[in-house]
Amino acid sequence: MGVLIPVGTKKGLFLLRSDDDRAKWEVEGPLLPGWAVYHAMVDPRDGVLYAATNNFLYGATVHRSADQGKNWERAEQIGLPEESELKLNATWHVEPGLASEPDTLWVGGDPGVLFRSVDRGVTWELNRGLFEHPTRERWQPGAGGMCCHSIQLVDGTMYAAISAAGAFRSEDGGESWTPINKDVAADFMEETYPEVGQCVHKLLVHPKDPQRLWQQNHCGVYRSDDRGDNWQRLDGNGLPSGFGFALALDPDDPEVAYVIPEESQELHWTAEGRLGVYRTGDGGASWELTANGLPDRAWAAILREGFAYDGGGLYFGTQSGSVWTAPRGGGRWTEAARDLPPILSVEAAAWQS
Amino acid sequence: MLAAEAGGENRFEVDAATAAEALRQLPVASLLFDETGELRRLINVFVDGADIRGTNGLDEPLQADSEVRVVGAIAGG
Repeated sequence: MGVLIPVGTKKGLFLLRSDDDRAKWEVEGPLLPGWAVYHAMVDPRDGVLYAATNNFLYGATVHRSADQGKNWERAEQIGLPEESELKLNATWHVEPGLASEPDTLWVGGDPGVLFRSVDRGVTWELNRGLFEHPTRERWQPGAGGMCCHSIQLVDGTMYAAISAAGAFRSEDGGESWTPINKDVAADFMEETYPEVGQCVHKLLVHPKDPQRLWQQNHCGVYRSDDRGDNWQRLDGNGLPSGFGFALALDPDDPEVAYVIPEESQELHWTAEGRLGVYRTGDGGASWELTANGLPDRAWAAILREGFAYDGGGLYFGTQSGSVWTAPRGGGRWTEAARDLPPILSVEAAAWQS
Repeated sequence: MLAAEAGGENRFEVDAATAAEALRQLPVASLLFDETGELRRLINVFVDGADIRGTNGLDEPLQADSEVRVVGAIAGG
């Protein structure tokens, strides 16, 4: 088996392929030229490639390819009900459904919306529980719009995170959603700890410890040990900044997390003028810089979908068009590709080399 | 981009009485119209060389040999 990295950019999709040693990378693309690919992933259940695609002329949609990008089909139907007087501004994230529901996928979008497909991405149905959430009038768009960017399905529970509405949890397959933002700061609001309105930048649930959640927020890095009921802020103890977008975990060790801090909410470049990934191995009690191989004078930006991990490595893409990889654990970083269009998303998948 | 989304074709012959009827028969109709059925803001449509914004809009009637052109707005520089 080898590794496939779908890299979503402002101008199309690129596929990076390597053998298991992750030493040499072949770059294919651009696929879907002209589409801004906010996120792309390979469905691990059937190998189909999905992309959340947006264009300033032609709107927001989802593309799928069953042959690794040679041929594409576009969603036949996705949008908001006319009576809502809202329109779908962008699709942000595609998430596979449960293994027991092989035809089901989820897509998050702007304005703070979630869609489900039960026909492998041909048609998409709006999730009413989130769309009609009683707190919606208190949500507001972040700088990237009001985007539903994080969708997690773990152990029968579903999570969605929206900037700037906060994080939500569903125990009934998406019918109803409970805000889970206790002790998560919203420094930009009059009330610092509101029920909703937090600007989550990325939320991940540990795949083997469903109690353990992590989030990189506009206002700090947080961990929860009880499925989001309570959050602990973790951005002292070695992080140069609490602000950032990118977040990655370790597939086995729930104590490990990686972030790429940015200077501040005004200065969206890597903290301290260097490209650095920070790792914790103790649940966020301490953080250490893992930057071997990364440029020590750099003002890069890594977006919320721009960081991925698998059992063998870590992968991130910059807005300046470089893809960096390192072995699991954060050894030496190497540049797998450069001079791509601005990178919006990076994922990792297995492929048959 | 539109041609790529239409299976590589950039010319279609359709039987339609108005510009809207013609556009809605295209395989890229969902890219031209939003979910409310409105023509997307930056899509320009010309019937026999005339911008439909200056005529009857999407209700512009078509003749048997009318040519409808779809052009995405171009800006920048």
